[in-house]
Amino acid sequence: MLEVEGLSKQYGQVVAVRDLSLSVRSGTALVLLGQNGAGKTTALRCFAAILKPTLGRVLVDGVDTREDADGARARVGLVPEVPGLYERMSAGAYLDYFGRVQGVDAATRSRTIGALLELFGLAEAGDRWLGTFSKGMRQKVALIRATIHRPRLILADEPTSALDPDSARIVWGYLEDLRSQGSALVVCTHNMEEAQALGGEIGIMMGGRLLAAGGFGALVSAAGLQRRREMVERPTLEEVYLAIVNRESELAARPA
Amino acid sequence: MVAGRDLRDAAGDLRLALAMVGLAAAIPIAAGTGIRALAYFGGGLSPVVERMSIVGAFFVVFLPASYTLVLALESFVGERERSTLEVLLSTPLREAEIYVGKVAAVLSVSLVLCFGALIAYCAVTFPGLGYFPIGILVSLAIATISQVAAMVAGAVIVSANARTMRAANVMASFIILPMSVVLQVEAGLILIGRGEFLWAFAAAMAVAAVILLRMGLGGFSREALLAREVGGKGLARRAARATATAFRQAPAGRSLVRARWLPILLSALAFPVGAGLGYLGAGPLSHKWGSDIAGAIGGPSHRDLAGAALSIFAGDLLAVLIAGLLAALTLGFTGYLITGVPGALLGYAAALSSWPVALAADFPHLLIHLPVAAVAGGLAIQIGASVIHMEPDGGWLARVVTAQAALARALLWLVPLLAAGALLQALSTR
Repeated sequence: MLEVEGLSKQYGQVVAVRDLSLSVRSGTALVLLGQNGAGKTTALRCFAAILKPTLGRVLVDGVDTREDADGARARVGLVPEVPGLYERMSAGAYLDYFGRVQGVDAATRSRTIGALLELFGLAEAGDRWLGTFSKGMRQKVALIRATIHRPRLILADEPTSALDPDSARIVWGYLEDLRSQGSALVVCTHNMEEAQALGGEIGIMMGGRLLAAGGFGALVSAAGLQRRREMVERPTLEEVYLAIVNRESELAARPA
Repeated sequence: MVAGRDLRDAAGDLRLALAMVGLAAAIPIAAGTGIRALAYFGGGLSPVVERMSIVGAFFVVFLPASYTLVLALESFVGERERSTLEVLLSTPLREAEIYVGKVAAVLSVSLVLCFGALIAYCAVTFPGLGYFPIGILVSLAIATISQVAAMVAGAVIVSANARTMRAANVMASFIILPMSVVLQVEAGLILIGRGEFLWAFAAAMAVAAVILLRMGLGGFSREALLAREVGGKGLARRAARATATAFRQAPAGRSLVRARWLPILLSALAFPVGAGLGYLGAGPLSHKWGSDIAGAIGGPSHRDLAGAALSIFAGDLLAVLIAGLLAALTLGFTGYLITGVPGALLGYAAALSSWPVALAADFPHLLIHLPVAAVAGGLAIQIGASVIHMEPDGGWLARVVTAQAALARALLWLVPLLAAGALLQALSTR
């Protein structure tokens, strides 16, 4: 579903992503972990065909983002870190607008919007201006907007950062449903529990590079923790993450 | 779809909508009432009332255009500040659809308000006045469409390139101030009774609007909009680096002439065109001007060789420097003037005497000066072309600096040639 080969993205002198290669199959998930400025958001923008790779290529559902960016974007649903809603529109009108932009027919739009507003507990607020919505409500609307056209690839940057545990559970359940229906999922998060609970592959980014990627077991091996602790207790994802990131920082600080 | 949403958004802000509609209605009514009062208390229709009524129409049309600029300035930078830009850019909409949608939304609001204001003004001012300047009002209406389109297109370019609304507002001065000057010149023409020139202004504004729309569309890209968030810092450092690179890489000598043959040819062609216009225009101009021009063609009045040569050289160098310095601001027009004006002077002198006499008087000078002016003019045209050319991948600043560096480097060999031409001319006129 998502194939990334040697992706590098440079803004002037700033290299935001360097030599990133990964693959996310249909019906699977990849969680990207990393500090702020690690290049996760730029990588997501490249996956979403908003930015063109400086080097390498990105294929979304077989469509090269460099050759057919519009076609690739039609297959992607992006949930950015900031919901970015038009505040002087009602939730219903807003979702209808983006449904039209995505080419969803009127009957499907009406049915899907009604069902999703109901699912996320926003049915009563459908006629209210988005400017009056709470942070959590906005995040839910952003998620509905990104998935109204049933995208083949869902890219979510901190999708539950403003949600209470109950709402977060609904959101993960919804994303899980979409995944089981064949969508691929790439999620950036700082929440280690959620990252592990999602049950897909995990990638750790730093300084624009993908330091390690794979299932939890592979990451434990990559972090060099299994020999030391395997027999005593299973390391947490946070420990694995910190081990990999700290080792990279030490390597970077060491004189050449 | 983008235009429709933006229009609904603008209308949804009731305070803004009411302020705009209120001003678009109140100002024309007040201005029209003033004109009627002038006619009433001034003893009826007079030339002053007639001309003031047309000038009033100009101002009531321009004012809504100026305050709807806020909408144009907000079109992209507002989305950036409200964090809605990334969402818009993540849709499958093509870049042209987004850009044209933004321009169309603001343009339609501006035109509705401008024409609404004009209709309100005409309805208040002219009934019963015994005067209705339909010709001028039609030219005003057409000029308004061009003028508003140029302003909106310029403001949307500013909006797409600014990182904050505050920066966009500051940059809007580059649109409002020139437009104010245009408006004052138009008003001046009406006051002196030369309303027919308004058509020329309408045509010029239409050309400006087309250039600006093309620039905006050419330079609009998702990449550039989002890269601005990351790469916007250190503008001075980037400009310095671009300048250093441009000077290092600028072609010189024959390779420069080969690379820029088309603008150099265009500048050279301005000479015969200018000569033809000067020749044809000799009739309408006064003979007092004629003697001055003939004097200028005949060369300076210095008796000593060095003084004469220096005087010619200073004049030629000043022309080249002014053409280069103003090339960016005039979009390369000075590149045509630097050869066109000497051509016009020669043509004028030829009309007063004959072509052989005029050419003989200036031949030694032209022999060197004309090729030098054509090269400098061509490079000035190239600067103008780089100013109005934008590309999706950015690099506007680097291209403008490179074009200016080419002229600056060329001066290293153009200036000695100018000196040689001046010396030759001084020798031949002794």
